[in-house]
Amino acid sequence: MPEIATVCPYCGCGCGLYLHVRDGRLIGVSPSRSHPVSQGRLCVKGWHAHEVVDNPNRLTHPLVRREGNLVVASWEEAAEVVANGLSKVLESEGPQAIGVLGSARCTNEDNYVLVRFARGTLRTPNIDCSARVQCVPGPAPTSGGPSLGAGAEEIADLDSADLILLVGSDPTEEHPAVAARVYRARQRGARVVAAAARAHPLARLADVHLPVRPGSEVRWLGSLLHLLLAEQGFAADADMPGLSELRASVAGLRPEDTEAATNVPAEALREVARLYLSSKQVVILYSTGLALSTVAGPALQALGSLAALSSRGGGPEVSVLGLLSRNNLQGCRDMGVAPDSLPGYVPLNDDAAVARFEQAWKCEVAREKGLRAWEMLGRVRAMYVVGDDVTRSLPDADAARRALEALDFLVVQDIFMSPAASMADVVLPAAAFAEREGTWTNLERRVQGIRKAVAPPGEAREDWRIVADVSRAMGKPLPYESAKQIFEEIADLASIYAGIAYPPAAVNGGIRWPTPEGRKAGETVAGSGEAEVTALSAEALKGPGARAETNEEYPLLLAADPTLRPWDGEVTVCHTLTSAGEFAVVARDYPDGMLCLNPEDAKRFGVRGGRPARVVSPKGESQMQVRVTEEAPEGIALVPYNQAMHSGLMEISTDPETGRPVLAPTPILVGPVQ
Amino acid sequence: MTARMLPGNKIDEFAVRLMRSAEVVAPRRVGEEDVFYGAIASPDEIAWDYGTAVEPLKRFLLPQREPILRFSTNGRIRVGAEYDEQQRVFLGVRCCDVTGVAVLDAMYGGDTVDPYYMSRRERSTFIALTCQQPEPHCFCVCGDAGPFLEGGYDQQWTALPEGMLVEIGSAAGEALVRDNEDLFAEAEVDQVAARYRLAREAEQKFGEFKSYIAGAMRKLSMNEVAPAVWEQAADRCMECGGCTYLCPTCSCFTVTDRMAGQDGVRERHWDACLYSCYAREASGHNPRPEREDRLRARFFHKISHQWAVRNGRQACVGCGRCVLGCMGWAHTPAVSEGIRRGVMT
Ligand code: SF4
Ligand code: SF4
Repeated sequence: MPEIATVCPYCGCGCGLYLHVRDGRLIGVSPSRSHPVSQGRLCVKGWHAHEVVDNPNRLTHPLVRREGNLVVASWEEAAEVVANGLSKVLESEGPQAIGVLGSARCTNEDNYVLVRFARGTLRTPNIDCSARVQCVPGPAPTSGGPSLGAGAEEIADLDSADLILLVGSDPTEEHPAVAARVYRARQRGARVVAAAARAHPLARLADVHLPVRPGSEVRWLGSLLHLLLAEQGFAADADMPGLSELRASVAGLRPEDTEAATNVPAEALREVARLYLSSKQVVILYSTGLALSTVAGPALQALGSLAALSSRGGGPEVSVLGLLSRNNLQGCRDMGVAPDSLPGYVPLNDDAAVARFEQAWKCEVAREKGLRAWEMLGRVRAMYVVGDDVTRSLPDADAARRALEALDFLVVQDIFMSPAASMADVVLPAAAFAEREGTWTNLERRVQGIRKAVAPPGEAREDWRIVADVSRAMGKPLPYESAKQIFEEIADLASIYAGIAYPPAAVNGGIRWPTPEGRKAGETVAGSGEAEVTALSAEALKGPGARAETNEEYPLLLAADPTLRPWDGEVTVCHTLTSAGEFAVVARDYPDGMLCLNPEDAKRFGVRGGRPARVVSPKGESQMQVRVTEEAPEGIALVPYNQAMHSGLMEISTDPETGRPVLAPTPILVGPVQ
Repeated sequence: MTARMLPGNKIDEFAVRLMRSAEVVAPRRVGEEDVFYGAIASPDEIAWDYGTAVEPLKRFLLPQREPILRFSTNGRIRVGAEYDEQQRVFLGVRCCDVTGVAVLDAMYGGDTVDPYYMSRRERSTFIALTCQQPEPHCFCVCGDAGPFLEGGYDQQWTALPEGMLVEIGSAAGEALVRDNEDLFAEAEVDQVAARYRLAREAEQKFGEFKSYIAGAMRKLSMNEVAPAVWEQAADRCMECGGCTYLCPTCSCFTVTDRMAGQDGVRERHWDACLYSCYAREASGHNPRPEREDRLRARFFHKISHQWAVRNGRQACVGCGRCVLGCMGWAHTPAVSEGIRRGVMT
């Protein structure tokens, strides 16, 4: 019974685990004690990772739509149909009419080859990943180090922190391996502050819980900055660029004056400021709860300013950890699955760098800026989607579904028949994580090798191989034979991965980029990485809370909570036995959606737990099952993000900078169903 | 005590002979520093100096996932059960893990005999290796399961400078000596004395998790636990299932049928009483809807007097794996302490 050391395929933590194999089948999973992330632990998903692979529902053969039905085809036929379908759109509408989506689930090698296929073979600049909707635009803040387009610092920072700030993050749901470290830090005496509307378990255990009203994230952070700068005599470095502008922008944000808008009691905020100043090492964690909020960009700027002020002004040492949701969302970004860069964050207007890619790829590269995932829908005529259920990953899920239906040609590669795959013209079966080699990059930039333990079912094969086959059928073969060969090309062309030898063994926790060699090579790409502070805009300080005021007609605020049940309905979770059982409970108990209401609100609006309620917003009307829970704050109804996407109740606001769609807090009326 | 000496230079030969007639499962290093019990191909693989293995022996007696019968609806229904009939010797495994098997026996070999489990169990021989240096998470002294055992093994080995002192605890253990008489020497009186001295010394080396269980058992069995403790424990549990999966004595499973065309296989999988889907009935009713209900049920099974009587001993052996594997902070020592003090820290 050999144990194969590999990495968990679910969240961005990237836990090390062992797969047990017998007679060519996976029979179980064990945690790795020596792995720096898992340290002997796994969450429910990790413990059941083998069930995703050895699963009767796997896609095993290429499927091609004939007379309305998906029927089994050979790889040659399927590649031919895809090549023809794409070529037809290329001829009639040009490359701009094709959109390609990479995957935060797939390997770096898959995504890299896909980028080459999109920008080289198809010549379309429209390549993106829908999970990027939760990546906050702009470089994430770091405490001074080069940010290189990724802000993740180390999970291990939690082990020495004396203050941990959870900003819109509930790691018990989203990043269990990080939560495990927070629990341990708390046991050894570290202070915990949780800023989130929902009183999640760590918020209940926290020294201070700030029940931040959704939409007012920038405002409470502004108030904290004001407290530090103006009241608590925080010794900021007076020469710091941007300091006086920042000071001016938060002047007068006394916590007493922001209390009403943020729901954050002034005294609680003062306590946070005191804890902050008396700490030596602070770790700030944020995740989708902040990144999918309406003010994500400015809120992150505020966190960046906080960190920068400290690093320059003798305050506590601050690390900011952006917790990415998926196992390889970091790698997917690193590989240039983005409309505005090439692998390694190489800008499209860097002639010399682009020339290196063109030389290596022996073709011209589409250099225009392409469409983002959410912009593709409705604007392109054909899509090539790898490992992504678009009907679940974008805020306006129903619009996404309609857009997919309206396409002339849709190709989906996946391991299961996802809702998006069931709409496709061609469905291509991919090998799962335990059936192939390659690398993933976790949320702290750990590049880790995954290993093949068993053979793929039927004719399923690696995603990069499928893409290469299609490219060959289009007359442009891609010369790849192994994951190793692809990785070495990546390390050669994308300087951030320079110095990483393949395979970066998962048992040791892989290798974090940049290596010293990569850091040197990356300086040209990275920018200065100088700590800086920025003023908070009046607009962001006001927040959409100002627009989403409740009133007599709509007395409650409805907010989508991305940290609440984030794995419900996820395609790989749906198809495992135990995790599905575990995660489907909510779906089964709350088939019409779960509306979390504080007991007081439930009483006030005459609705009962477990019963459907009628929910009316200015945008629409729906029925949802009520869950009465103290986790919901008074006056705010919380719905899992995934359910909110389909509810038809939420306003969709657009980030002015990036056009990123976000579900905005919306006033509602709740009542019993008549 | 019946004891013999296996001189240091005969240990490998003994292991090789065992391998001729059985699969020998022993601690070995995997990956970087992880130790797993696993079938060895050579005695060189055995990590005699290990602390504890990542997992107990459960996987070998009750796999995380195993086919229990195959059927076909192809015209007529055919059914066939599958038993694992491999002979196994578990060599150099820890005392707490050997003791854990006794609790599994109470579950699977008691009132209702589970043929899949028993098929493996009857073909298993256990050679325990005593612990001279417990690890920080260990508390087998409170679990009455180590660091040295007084019984419950086929053989128990203690590493002495000149070789292994071999205590014989069963007829099967005795037979292994008899069949390899040429390898063994007599044990001297001071070698036996050394074993008792080492045991006493080892007991002094335990860490922070010592001795919370007895007090907790009293309160739990008398129904005197402050209700708030379970709520506080619930806030510290993420329902990962790790504590039950890593526990040498947790034994819950679920059964599913999986079809591929007309052929089906009925599989047994580990399940965990802490999962919200565990006790949920088909009607949708869940007798233990809240996490605190499930935690209470789990700890009642682990360390109540009532269940200790049923199992023949308390179900916690003190291996400390839940301490390492808990995603939150609701492992047995933490909750036991909470029960004793009426509040979780
Ligand atoms: S915490 Fe994340 S990486 Fe670790 S086991 Fe759970 S899902 Fe997998
Ligand atoms: S190991 Fe800890 S977190 Fe996991 S189920 Fe057990 S008590 Fe809960």
